Amino acid sequence: MSSAPKRMDVEQARQDLCRRTLSDIQRPLDRLIYLASMRDYNTGVYHHDGLASRFTEEVACEALSDCHREAFQELVICPLDELVSQLDAYRSSTHTSPREFLTAWGRLEPYRVAVPVQTDPLSAEFLFSNFKIALAVLESQLDPRPVGLTA
Amino acid sequence: MIQLLFFLLIGVALLSSLFFLVRRGSPRAEGDSRVLVDARKALDALQGGLLPEELVRRIFAKEDLDYVLSLKAPKTVRDLFIAERKKIALSWIAQVRTQISSLKSFHVGAARSHAKLGLRTEIQLACNFTTLLLACRALSMAIYVGGPYVAPSMVGATASAAAKICTISEQSLAFLNPVQLKPYASGSLTS
Repeated sequence: MSSAPKRMDVEQARQDLCRRTLSDIQRPLDRLIYLASMRDYNTGVYHHDGLASRFTEEVACEALSDCHREAFQELVICPLDELVSQLDAYRSSTHTSPREFLTAWGRLEPYRVAVPVQTDPLSAEFLFSNFKIALAVLESQLDPRPVGLTA
Repeated sequence: MIQLLFFLLIGVALLSSLFFLVRRGSPRAEGDSRVLVDARKALDALQGGLLPEELVRRIFAKEDLDYVLSLKAPKTVRDLFIAERKKIALSWIAQVRTQISSLKSFHVGAARSHAKLGLRTEIQLACNFTTLLLACRALSMAIYVGGPYVAPSMVGATASAAAKICTISEQSLAFLNPVQLKPYASGSLTS
């Protein structure tokens, strides 16, 4: 990263990303997971070859980071019932069995690595808490017997 | 001789108090940078992370409780929901309290050196800080005992009082903001 990219370029790249890629990903949860997967866990730098070829690596990284933050904010303020629906829909899209999915998410808590950097701790804590509740709700719908998956 | 010593002692005492008063009256121009940085961080944390209306509304939203109750979910789910929301609510109030205390330290120790606040504003600010910190403690106790939905009006009042303090603190810390330079006008150097 040589120098800070210009805000105007980042905004153009962001619009480009929204138009070409993110418009096909309707749910904020899916967008959050998709954008988190664009980030290198070792460096925290986002990569998107198509966007980088149209703009620059730095501009693409900034644009992806902005969109990631937006998706996170959207998810933090979404009501619990919506989060439950989004989680269920995401589960369906992965073609995993509900029980397998709920067990993996309950144990591994993959949502913890999907938050953008420099997220304020309370918002992250709140989202993690909502995921925990949403998983418990989905589990209760799966099996009427109370089981302590998320405990 | 004793009288002379007595007057000398009084003289020394008066001179030392004068010295301390003079020192106190002319604060160091550079101030305490750590207090300033902490205050700026506290202000950013409050305005950016803790006080946004949508977040506060969502944390204390009763619709979520209604949703969980409407599910006829097992008691474990309801208990988990209440416990999680209580934890977040207590965390929110604790963090607001910490950041407000940090701003208070700034105002008590350094604001006089840096900010051009009037006496009236300073008194108002001192009252606001005291009231808010007491309200935070009361709210924390209420949530601890009665759960996250026990005092919605108190949550709103606390958030708006904290926002008001942020606005005043913002003015005090305005000198830390980058200078807004006027665009270069041709010929301005030659005139």
